[in-house]
Amino acid sequence: MVLTPMDTRECKLSNSARSVRYQTFIALTLLLLSTATSFAQDWIRTGTGLGVERVRLAASDFKSSTSDPGNPALLKTFNDTLWNDLDNAGIFDLVSKSFYPLQVPGQPSEINFSAWNSPPPNTSMLAFGNLGAAAGKVTVQGWLYDVKNEKSPQVLGKQYTDTATSDAVRLIAHRFADEIIFRLGGGVQGIAETKIYFVSERTGHKEIWVMDYDGANQQQITRLGSISLSPRISPDGSRLAFSSISRGGWEIMMYSFDLNRMVAFPRFGGMNLSPSWSPEGKIAFSSSRNGYPNIFVIDGSGGNSRRLTNDQGPDVSPTWNRKTGSQIAFVSGRTGLPQIYTMESDGTNVQRLTDQGYAVSPNWSPNGQFLTLSWMRKYGPGEPGSNDIYLMDIASKQWVQLTHDAGRNDFPCWSPDGRHIVFQSHRSGSDQIWSMLGDGTNVKQLTFKGSNTQPNWSWK
Amino acid sequence: MHDIDIYSEHGQLSRPLAWSLGLHLAFAGFVVFYAVFINSFRGTGWGSGGGGDAMGATLVSAVPLPANPAETTNVLATESKGLSKSQPTVQEKEPEAIPIPDKNTKTKIKPAPAKSETQRKAEPETIDSNQIPYGEGGPVSGPYTMSAGGAKGGFGFTGSGGDFGSQYAWYVQAVQRKVTENWLKYEVDPHITDAKRVYLTFDIARDGHPSNVQIEQSSGVPSLDQSAARALQRIDTFGPLPSDYSGSKVSVEFWFDYKR
Repeated sequence: MVLTPMDTRECKLSNSARSVRYQTFIALTLLLLSTATSFAQDWIRTGTGLGVERVRLAASDFKSSTSDPGNPALLKTFNDTLWNDLDNAGIFDLVSKSFYPLQVPGQPSEINFSAWNSPPPNTSMLAFGNLGAAAGKVTVQGWLYDVKNEKSPQVLGKQYTDTATSDAVRLIAHRFADEIIFRLGGGVQGIAETKIYFVSERTGHKEIWVMDYDGANQQQITRLGSISLSPRISPDGSRLAFSSISRGGWEIMMYSFDLNRMVAFPRFGGMNLSPSWSPEGKIAFSSSRNGYPNIFVIDGSGGNSRRLTNDQGPDVSPTWNRKTGSQIAFVSGRTGLPQIYTMESDGTNVQRLTDQGYAVSPNWSPNGQFLTLSWMRKYGPGEPGSNDIYLMDIASKQWVQLTHDAGRNDFPCWSPDGRHIVFQSHRSGSDQIWSMLGDGTNVKQLTFKGSNTQPNWSWK
Repeated sequence: MHDIDIYSEHGQLSRPLAWSLGLHLAFAGFVVFYAVFINSFRGTGWGSGGGGDAMGATLVSAVPLPANPAETTNVLATESKGLSKSQPTVQEKEPEAIPIPDKNTKTKIKPAPAKSETQRKAEPETIDSNQIPYGEGGPVSGPYTMSAGGAKGGFGFTGSGGDFGSQYAWYVQAVQRKVTENWLKYEVDPHITDAKRVYLTFDIARDGHPSNVQIEQSSGVPSLDQSAARALQRIDTFGPLPSDYSGSKVSVEFWFDYKR
């Protein structure tokens, strides 16, 4: 296989036939070599059948890299935010900090692999790093290491710089958590930077508010002084549609985040409720301008109004198939108690999904497979149960109950990663916003002040 | 008149009666002959001489045990080999159908050389002397095999060609988790309680998009094959390949075990 320089020189000096033979030999050798390297085409062989375990992940507290007096406060914010983000992600089995070695690393060189990859922590992944403030700037270095793979452990290494404020540090922690979730979660973007829009009565009027996905950073958006309901953020996050009562009755209103103010939107007359954005930016809503509440579709600008349903039973709460934009689920009372129906986005092929009880508030999952809804399966005086959140597979109409024995639960809405559901619940004694994983576990209360209802998760 | 009729009937019956008697005797003779002579030639097929042992059971201290179960499984194994060998001979008539029986017979290692010929052109060659040719590295013990907990048929990737499996074990596990999440077992025929393993192959491009999904080895249950293929169809992306990985794609062989 190896030709020494001596060989080749000899070959040149000798007759041309030998030279040709040598060249053929070289060519064949190269061909064989290329075949051998093609054997090295990377193959993964794996499978399933027993379910999967969550990734066992340890997130050690970041260390201080400078001696700035503001470091401890920033570090606490950062570590708490990072831990909560990873804990909320729903794909990790977070190793309790009490199992960690006494010496936590702040740099890759400080890692003692055997202390992490064997019990008690026995973790597969380790997130670590350092944070340092200097001259009003904070620098964060973060790594994610596969500590069971000592040869090539690094999965992720990031450095962030921003102003040394609590909000900036929280944002850095969100971003770093999202990077980890993106890598280990199979390419699904994390939700640590997403927002939840909701209706709050804490000012005395029902106004639209916004908060981070974990309940932090709650801010008021509208100040209309009337009643505003059903906030729905547009797919690109630039506009917020909601329904509000004004002089002419219930109308669809629009708030622009580019201009940070209300923008004009056509008024239709009658009662206009529950707008819903399609992935392409169209809006479906319920309007009674022709007498009975029916589903209409308009462009994002308010033009091109089209009527989709035409019946007497009130049709409200449309929600688009967020993946395809070609189907709409809605609530109709055409047979008496409200039930969930689906139809194509042109109004054809109306199908009933729920078979009994009192079903409202459908919301389509990002992957297009599931609806969440609020359902009282047995409705009537003396019947057991209350409004609970259910998950229904569109194709098979199989359903799963997600909340149990916990007061009235309503207005479920999917997170953009399809792993979480935010909803309104009365379980604490007042209406508040809660979130949970898509399987009903890991329930967390997000709001505490006043009465907070009708959450809507941003698209990204 | 009546008597005459009766006598005449007697006369007519005598000959068939003689035939009947003769045939019965012949049949009885054949049965005796068969039992005594012919059956003695194949006596081993029935009880295999166990009758004699049973008679002597009171005399022998140890009861003869049944045959070693390992031997019976060997017999079954050879039978199935015979079956699988017969398939390629039938399918030689159709050249397009040949690749499938090849993959049926191979267990895990054989398919890669067949694929490598097609992939050779796509992939520019860099020669690393320390790379192990495909199939000669033995089972790779990736970092995650520990978490399989010894469960039979759990996670494990055997014989990864390059070092992708060992270097980016976290990505392999992300792939496995994502496929499992998207495999809806209720799509399988509810009457099926157990099925053979179904093998799928697909490629993951640099952006993480799966393509070229093929059922490499069917389970024999169409609904199970379908559910496995649909699991892949539901997936838009596995996430981009690791940024420091040089290849343009990764090929995956993924198996599904179904038990209800």
